[in-house]
Amino acid sequence: MRLRRIPLVIGAIIVGFAAIVAIIGPWLAPHDPFVQDLGHRYVPPAWMAGGSPAHWLGTDGLGRDYLSRLILGARISMLIGVSTIVLSGTIGTTLGVLGGYFGGTVDAVVMFIVSCRLAIPLILVALTVVFMVGSSLAVVVLTIGLLLWERFAVVSRAVTRQVCALDYVAAAWAAGCSRTRIILREVLPNIAHHLVVIATIDMAIAILLEAALSFLGLGIPPPLPSWGLMIAEAKDYMFFTPWVIEIPGVALLVLVLGINLLGDGLRDALGARTDR
Amino acid sequence: MNPPTLEIEGLRVGFGAMEAVRGISLSVARGETHCLVGESGCGKSVSALAVMGLLPPGARRTVRRIAFAGEEIGQLSERQLARLRGDRMGMIFQEPMTSLNPAYTIGSQMTEVLRRHRGLSRGDAAERSVAMLDRVGVTAPAMRLGQFPHQLSGGLRQRVMIAMALLCEPKLLIADEPTTALDVTVQAQTLRLLARLQRDLGLAVLLITHDLGIVARVANHVSVMYAGEIVEQGSVEALFAAPSHPYTRGLLDAIPVPGKVRRGDRLGSIPGIVPRLAVGFVGCPFRDRCAHAAPVCAVEATRQEAGGEHVYRCRLPPGWWREAA
Amino acid sequence: MSASAIEAIGLSRVFDQRQGLFGEAKHVVAVDDISLDVASGRAIGIVGESGCGKSTLARVLLGILPPSAGTVRIAGQSLAEMDRRARARLIQPVFQDPMSSLNPRRRVADIVALPLIVQGVGSPERRRRVGAMLERVGLSADTGARYPAQLSGGQRQRVAIARALVNEPRILVCDEPTSALDVSVQAQILNLLGDLRAAFDLTLVFISHNLAVVEHIADEVAVMYLGRIVEHGENAAVFGAPRHPYTRALLASVLTPEPGLGLPDVPLGEGYPDPSNIPSGCRFHPRCPIAIDICRVRPPERRSVECHLAP
Repeated sequence: MRLRRIPLVIGAIIVGFAAIVAIIGPWLAPHDPFVQDLGHRYVPPAWMAGGSPAHWLGTDGLGRDYLSRLILGARISMLIGVSTIVLSGTIGTTLGVLGGYFGGTVDAVVMFIVSCRLAIPLILVALTVVFMVGSSLAVVVLTIGLLLWERFAVVSRAVTRQVCALDYVAAAWAAGCSRTRIILREVLPNIAHHLVVIATIDMAIAILLEAALSFLGLGIPPPLPSWGLMIAEAKDYMFFTPWVIEIPGVALLVLVLGINLLGDGLRDALGARTDR
Repeated sequence: MNPPTLEIEGLRVGFGAMEAVRGISLSVARGETHCLVGESGCGKSVSALAVMGLLPPGARRTVRRIAFAGEEIGQLSERQLARLRGDRMGMIFQEPMTSLNPAYTIGSQMTEVLRRHRGLSRGDAAERSVAMLDRVGVTAPAMRLGQFPHQLSGGLRQRVMIAMALLCEPKLLIADEPTTALDVTVQAQTLRLLARLQRDLGLAVLLITHDLGIVARVANHVSVMYAGEIVEQGSVEALFAAPSHPYTRGLLDAIPVPGKVRRGDRLGSIPGIVPRLAVGFVGCPFRDRCAHAAPVCAVEATRQEAGGEHVYRCRLPPGWWREAA
Repeated sequence: MSASAIEAIGLSRVFDQRQGLFGEAKHVVAVDDISLDVASGRAIGIVGESGCGKSTLARVLLGILPPSAGTVRIAGQSLAEMDRRARARLIQPVFQDPMSSLNPRRRVADIVALPLIVQGVGSPERRRRVGAMLERVGLSADTGARYPAQLSGGQRQRVAIARALVNEPRILVCDEPTSALDVSVQAQILNLLGDLRAAFDLTLVFISHNLAVVEHIADEVAVMYLGRIVEHGENAAVFGAPRHPYTRALLASVLTPEPGLGLPDVPLGEGYPDPSNIPSGCRFHPRCPIAIDICRVRPPERRSVECHLAP
């Protein structure tokens, strides 16, 4: 029994740690992440030859402290992740539940909207938006947040349909409940555990998407230390000072892995408890 | 005198700290039907799976003796048991939709059995399958081979299941609630079919059910199970003429019989629910729900003989209910 | 003041189901022009096998499914015109599956309180009435704090009954309420329903495929086949002297726990009832042991027994 919980625990620890770093990290960062020190460019991390405790993770090409940049980057990644869950979650769940509950024409319209969304490649939309409006943290957060709702919609629609076929929904209707009360009281609590899993999946996707966009130069604008941007900036010196690309790369890997483990673990834990 | 087709002595099955089957013994003779009857959770289905060697991993099975047509099979390896299973023991289940693979045609599922266990060619297997389908009363059998399970009604699917179980002409058929999912009119037809096949093939049938009506009409011998134990066992005539265990009597009182129970009268009911028993439980498992419980019931439930092979486990002596009436 | 508790007039319900991506729509006539009139305080048993439409009929009577044609009148008022709270005060359901009829995410007390919440009953009075109702159905007061998953099937069904009766409706529609329960538990629930029916002076619509149970509980019986009521009469008449061949076949199929009687030979044909493909003429003729030519051609006259050959 305990063995099966390990992925959940690991995932929770990683994500929890990232959340803590995101919230209070920037106050604990040893240096200002934007201050350049051209005299100390590419200082190796403290555990390598030439490193010093002044810069635990070394410095980047402009002499900026890497640890501080990493911490701020964590905040950016978590911000993207959470805002996506909130924005996309709301949009997608609303569409899905309405389509699943009402069926018929409403459902057809919802499915059409979802199909349209599925037909659009995200990168293209992000490109277009950045081109038209210019890139900034707010633009990227909003673009990604408002675009990743299709999984929420599809899953919540499917599960809503299943739940609505059950007798307790019919009993609530017979008891005189309004549609609103049925959706809020009978449907939503019973689809929530599915949505939690989708939320973690979408969070991981959003973070990776932002990193990809920033890597391409279309996401968070410099000097903000998005991990994707840090990877892009380190690309040219990859073979000479590999830690500059390794550190944000590993951070990204660990965070996304943690989110996925958390999602899997939650699905197993919640699913098992409610399936009786 | 032929040995009984199936003999079980002291079968126990446990899962973790719980014991689902706590030492049951029964035998099924050739051409006879033995009904194992009980409510949900009593361990009857688990017993059937244990006989077939189909328990899930993690289940503990111990048995003093299990013999098939006189041969001991308790120590057989999984491979030997698998050969025995398809070939000389057949099993049919309650829900034909989940025991027939919905992705394959009836024909492919039936011929697979014959080709695997009898090594028949595809053509011969198809011929034999059609013959068996005809025998179980499936109309247009040749056409059915090409159909999928979902294209048939529940009753027809159950007949296909029976046909599949009988393809290799087994000696023993274990039927686990074979008619529970069927309409009542189809149920009667299906049971008649089973009875006819049993006569024709000399089958021994172990029929598991919760329905005492089926038991009365179909069984030669009955074992009543409660919380993993057989609490009463005997020929069907003896058991229904003189039901001796309080649980058996309680069950019979709980069944509304058209014409027998007046409308407005309460049905006899057994208070409480079936317990789940852990390893190490002693005494009578029914004592918490029994109107006649006494301190001795916590220690042991004596084996009583109510005449011939009719036995039951209870402190109350045979015929106790005559005085109580 | 109408003595009729629930009335169905010319009720029909059809479904058009599209089969897969390219299939044609299957036109299923689940309920075909049914008329019923149940007097207040009586219990009507509706029996039938799969495909007969009894569950669909139950849902239409409850207002869960709108009829395709016809009307339902409850205590003289049209169901379609009733506001949802008024309807909930009059008629309530008990469903078959105790697992799926209770919201797994809510405590028992919340589940039972739902009809009261909808009616706007205040919190202290709700608590009182829910507690009283739980005891009435034979559950201890602390059951209210538990979740459905922690209860047995019989206990869950009691919760469902408590929910249905907490607001003291006039009519209870039970759709196979004991079919998913063990025999001993079934007896407990049936006794409970009998007691509550007397205590609350309920009108009972009891749907089941189990004829023995219906015979025990119902005053009048309606036998359904493929969407129509093929026989309707008093309990004693239908069970004692069934007139329709289907009713006779149904009764003959019941296996009573009496040894030595063997298995009945129920002379019904191979065909199975398919509501998407209703036979012409008398819908029972493909399986009827006494069908004659006219049965294949002309539907029987609409009366209490729908058969050309019944007296």
